Amino acid sequence: MIEAILAGLTALLTPQALLFMLIGVVYGLVIGILPGLGGVVAMALLLPFTYGFETAATLALLLGAHIATIWGDSVTSILFSVPGSAKGLALCFDGYPMTKKGQAKRALAASATGALLGGIIGAIFLALCIPLIRPVILALGPSEYLMMALWGLTVIATFSEGSLMKGLTASVLGVLVAFIGMDVVTATPRFTFGSEFLMDGISFPVAMIGLFAVSEMMKLAIKGTPIVDRSLVKEESTVWQGVQDAFRHWWLVARSSLLGLWIGVLPGVGASVAGLAAYAQAVQTSKTPERFGKGAVEGVIAPDATMGANEGGGLMPTLAFGIPGGESMAILLVAFIGLGVVPGPDMLTKNLDLVFSMVWIIVIANIAVTVIGLGITPWLARLPSLQANLMVPIVLAVCFVGAYATRGHIEDVVVAAVFGIVGYLMDKYHYSRANFVIGMVLAVMIERNLHISLTLYGRDFLLERPIALAMLLFVLVTAALPFVRNWRRKRRQAAGAAAP
Amino acid sequence: MKISRHAQENVASVLLLAFFAGVIVLCQDFGPRARMIPLPLAVFGIVLTLIQMAWHNFGSPEELQMDMISVQAPTIPAAETPAAPVKKPSRQGEAAAYGMIAVLLALTFAAGVMPAAFLFTAGYFMVTRYCSWRLSLVYAAVLTVSLYLLFVVALQMQPYHGLLAPLFQ
Repeated sequence: MIEAILAGLTALLTPQALLFMLIGVVYGLVIGILPGLGGVVAMALLLPFTYGFETAATLALLLGAHIATIWGDSVTSILFSVPGSAKGLALCFDGYPMTKKGQAKRALAASATGALLGGIIGAIFLALCIPLIRPVILALGPSEYLMMALWGLTVIATFSEGSLMKGLTASVLGVLVAFIGMDVVTATPRFTFGSEFLMDGISFPVAMIGLFAVSEMMKLAIKGTPIVDRSLVKEESTVWQGVQDAFRHWWLVARSSLLGLWIGVLPGVGASVAGLAAYAQAVQTSKTPERFGKGAVEGVIAPDATMGANEGGGLMPTLAFGIPGGESMAILLVAFIGLGVVPGPDMLTKNLDLVFSMVWIIVIANIAVTVIGLGITPWLARLPSLQANLMVPIVLAVCFVGAYATRGHIEDVVVAAVFGIVGYLMDKYHYSRANFVIGMVLAVMIERNLHISLTLYGRDFLLERPIALAMLLFVLVTAALPFVRNWRRKRRQAAGAAAP
Repeated sequence: MKISRHAQENVASVLLLAFFAGVIVLCQDFGPRARMIPLPLAVFGIVLTLIQMAWHNFGSPEELQMDMISVQAPTIPAAETPAAPVKKPSRQGEAAAYGMIAVLLALTFAAGVMPAAFLFTAGYFMVTRYCSWRLSLVYAAVLTVSLYLLFVVALQMQPYHGLLAPLFQ
C-alpha cells in the first residue's frame, strides 16, 4: 500500500501533470464564479482536451478544475448572495450577512480554509475506507436514499425566515416546479403544456440564476446603493482571521467533513444536499444558534468543509463499482473510458496507484485553490462595495448569457427572467427562496426513490428495510428535538415565573 | 390607488391558491403513479396557504413567526450590522426594475445574447448617468468582448443571433 501511495504521488510530479493541475484550478475558479456554470460544466468542457496525455495529468486537469469550482461557487454566494450552483446555496445564509457586516475577507478565507481541511480529511478517509466501504454501499437501497432526502427536507424548518407556513409553502412550490417535464419513472410529460422545451424540465442552474442573481440585482437597482456601503460599514476583518476560524472550529470541520464524505459515498445524493445538511447540523449542534443567519462564521465553514470532503466520498463508488456518486463523477467515468481505465474491484488491487494519484490530486488541488483563493481574497472583498449602477447591468448581462449558455436554449433566458421576478416577489413577501430551492433539489430524489421502494418492497417497505426505518426515526428525532427543547425551556421559564 | 401590505399579502395567498388549484386540475390527466406526489402536495399547499391566510387575517402575526433557529433561541438579539435607514421600495423603483428585466429580455430576443449585453450595459450606464456616453460605450464593449471570449471562444457556446439577424444577412 505504501508503494502505491508513493507511486501515485510520483505520477503527479511530472511537469505536464503539475501544469495541467494549475490550468485546471485557475479555469475551475473562473467557471465556478460565473453564474450557472459549476463543476459539471467545467469538467464536461474539458473532456475533448483530455485525450492523448498522461493519465495522471488528465485526471489532474479534470479533478483540479472540479475542485476549484467548489470555492468559486462559494465566492459569489458570500459576496453577492448569488450561488453559482446549488452547492453554494448554504453559503448564502451566513456568508452574505458576513459581507454586509464588513467581514468579507474573513468569510472568504474561512470558506477557502474550511474547503481545504474538508478536502484533506475527505482524501485521507477515501484512502483509508476504500476496502471497508463496499459492504456499506451495498447495504443501502432506494428506501435509505429516500430517508436521506427526507432528512434534507427537515432543513426547511431552519430557513423559514420567520413564518413556518410560508417556508413550507415555498418548499412545496419548489417541489412542484421540479416536477415540470418528463416524469423519470412513468415517462409522463407533466405540466409541460405541450412545450418541447419544458419536456426537459426547468434547468436547475437557470432557476438559481433567476431566483438569486436576477432578483438580487432587481433589489439593488431599486435600492440604488452598493451591497456594502463603505461609508457605513468598513471592511475590518482580515484573511488571517478567517484561516484561524477554520482551525478554531476544528471539531465542526471534522464532523462536517465526515458528513460530506458519507453523502459523497451515496450515489446520486450530491453536494447540494451535503452543503444544506452541513449547515443544518451546524445550527442544530451550536450552543449559540441565534447567531446563524446573521453572519456566523460556522455557517460558512461547515458547508465548505462538507463540500470539500464530498469529492473524496464521491470517488469511492465511482472507482470501486463504476457507480458515479454524482454528475461530475459520471463525467469522470467518461474520461476513464477515454483513458482505458476500467472502474471496479480491479481499481483497488491492480490500479491502486491510480486511485492514490486521485487522492493526491484532491489534496494538492485543494491546497492550490486555497493558496490562490487566499491570495485574491483582498481584491474579491472589494467587489460588494462597487456602485449599484455599475454592478446591476454587468451582473444581469452575465446572468442572461450564463442562463443561455447552460443548455444553449434561448427559452432559458425567459426562465431566468421569470424566476428573477418570482424570486424578487418571494423575497418581498418573505417566502423563503432557499426553501424553494431545497424543494427543487430534493423533489426528484424523493419521487424516484419512493417509486422504486414501492415497486421493490411494496407499501410496507419500511418494515422490510430496517436501516431505512432506523434512518426515519433518526430524521424524526433530529427534526423534533429543537421543538422539544424549546417546549422544555418554555415550561422551565413558566415554572420559574410561577415560583414565589 | 394604494394597496396596503395586508391586502398585498392576501393577494399573494390567493394567487398561490390559484396555482395549487391549477396543479390539482392538471394532475387529473396523469396516471396514478405520475400524480402520486404532485397531487397530495398541491392539496397540502392549499391547506398551508389557507392556514397562512387565516392566521394573517384573524390571528396574531407573532404566532406565525417560527422557524428552527428562532425555536432554538427564542431571544434573538438585534442585528449588530450598522444598517442604512430602511427605505421601502417605491412603486416607481419597482416598476423600473421590472422594466429593466423586460428590456433586457426583449433585447436578447431581438438582437441576440451578445449584442443585447452590449446594448443593455451601455444603455444602463447612459440612462443612470453613471459615466459619459463615450465611457459607457467603452465599458459595454469591454464587457461584451470579455463575455464573447469566455463563452463563445473558450467555452464554445453557440450564440443566439436574435430575431432581427435575418435583416442584417
